Amino acid sequence: MRVSDSMLALPLTAIFVACFVAPLAVLLLLSLHGDISMTGWTLGNYAKFFTDRFNYSILVETLLLGLKATLVCLIFGFPIAWLCSRASPRWQSVLLFLVILPILTSVVVRTFSWIVILGRQGVLNQIVLGLHLSHEPLRLLYTEVGVVIVLAQVQMPLMVLPILAVLSKIDPNLADASRVLGAGEWRTLWRVTLPLSLPGVIAGCILTYSASITAFVTQSLIGGARLIYMPLHIYQQAVGANNWPFAAAVSIIFMVTVMIVVAVLSAIGRRSETYGGA
Amino acid sequence: MTPTMNRRRFLGAAGALGAALAAPRLARGESKTLVAATFPGTWSEADRQVILPAFKQATGATVTQSIILGTDQVARLVAAKGNKPPFDVAFFDAPQVIDAVREGLIVEYPVDKSPNFKELLPSAQDKWGPRITMQVIGIGYNPSKITGPPQSWDDLLDPKYKGRVGLTALNSQLGIAFLAEINRIKGGSEENFDPAFKFLKELLPNVGAIGANLGAFATLWQQEQIDIAPYNFNFVQTLKAKDVPVELSIPATGPVGWSTSLHVVANAAEPELAVQYIDTHLGAAIQGQLLKPPYDVIPTNAKVTLSGAITTSLAKTQDDLAKIRTLNWEKLNPQRGALIDRFNREIKI
Repeated sequence: MRVSDSMLALPLTAIFVACFVAPLAVLLLLSLHGDISMTGWTLGNYAKFFTDRFNYSILVETLLLGLKATLVCLIFGFPIAWLCSRASPRWQSVLLFLVILPILTSVVVRTFSWIVILGRQGVLNQIVLGLHLSHEPLRLLYTEVGVVIVLAQVQMPLMVLPILAVLSKIDPNLADASRVLGAGEWRTLWRVTLPLSLPGVIAGCILTYSASITAFVTQSLIGGARLIYMPLHIYQQAVGANNWPFAAAVSIIFMVTVMIVVAVLSAIGRRSETYGGA
Repeated sequence: MTPTMNRRRFLGAAGALGAALAAPRLARGESKTLVAATFPGTWSEADRQVILPAFKQATGATVTQSIILGTDQVARLVAAKGNKPPFDVAFFDAPQVIDAVREGLIVEYPVDKSPNFKELLPSAQDKWGPRITMQVIGIGYNPSKITGPPQSWDDLLDPKYKGRVGLTALNSQLGIAFLAEINRIKGGSEENFDPAFKFLKELLPNVGAIGANLGAFATLWQQEQIDIAPYNFNFVQTLKAKDVPVELSIPATGPVGWSTSLHVVANAAEPELAVQYIDTHLGAAIQGQLLKPPYDVIPTNAKVTLSGAITTSLAKTQDDLAKIRTLNWEKLNPQRGALIDRFNREIKI
């Protein structure tokens, strides 16, 4: 790369340093102090987090929530991506539009419309009661099941798009070859298409996972205050309790944990790429 | 035609873009802009419909609303300390005033520059900024599901309301005030909140949902997810105006409330305008207008005669208003963090 080329990245680098690296440094510094005026260094905030079961149970539950939402997303997203990749160009653009549609509205609006769907008087419960499937309305809102359902829908495009990108690049001859060699549709899917699409699946999982566990709006509107996940915990500590140093420490811990999860997924992704290329 | 971009064209385009962006600002001419914080819901609406036109007429200045809760305002002002504050006028509930004064976020209110100030009830004439209204809590209930207004906070414990009781998280004023009132009734003190938490423990089987914030709490009523819950007089009025079946009942133990006030932010960009804007909220004519539905704002100007929903459920006269019990925020504020923490632990599923 020539020097003048790398110069082009300078403005972005400058913005990145000013708007991301610097605040992150402040966050880290703040987390190492006892109060907001930053007098005296301490690891007390971190010690407080890890010596209290309540705190790390929130962390574990948040990570599990992401896992559940990502799995649901994958189960529903992969078939959609697969259908998309095999559809005629015209249908493909229609399907693609439908997949992207949710991103075109604000996440707040999408989440509120889910409240209308999942509520006691909501669309879903009206159907359940109308069909006499249950005597009383199901409890969906303010439960973890509700949060997972909504997160899966809200984050679906993040799963479908990367998988679709990889699927549509797979050489169709490979599937034909598989069929010629006597494999059925399912076997071809399982032994050829799925392994080749792994990099897309991993990328989709990373995106969905990190978006799901940090989805403050969806988690707090659908989950309510009784289901506490990390973003709400950080918000309550910072704004409600005015304990900024502890909120900073919780943020750092959360960020590092997420980075570890993403790093592990990326490592798997890299291995799957070499597998796909072999 | 091939799209080429030479330096001259680039500069021309950039110049045109800059001019286009600057144009609306130029067109507005000399008129000044004040940035004022306001609460979501009733107040942002009342400010936009009633205060802003009156203020514009008097000063010629425009107002940009910054719609955020009191605790968030404190957080933002703390974050901006030493720099230009994000807004000129702060809109606080009683507890935030104490925090803001301690942190040096607001300045003393220049009483002599505010002609309407001396018309306020003596209790509303705070030197840090005038109290413009009171928020009062009671028991909200859905009259189509619950016959006869609840008489006591203990009614929430009734097994027939299993899964039908709502609560809000303690980062809302409503949540803290409810907890403090229950604590007082059950024999607790500002140092000992055990009685309140004992009550909450007993209440939990009945609790159907806990709203993470007041917006989510309003949705609970709209979706009829809950039938009975501690609620705030003005929120009930707002929902009623939207045909949501909800009423407020004041329990026999009496109403509890806190004041809401306006303040000039330290280092405000437009301190003069800020005072004029605040003063607009204090006049008898304006407060009389805000007393009408759908706002039903409890007045603090002594010249306003009470009427409407307030007189049926809260107070017949200004004297009744003065009797509404307030809370000791000096004692409560420092414990807020610990209370939120304890609440989260005890209510977590």
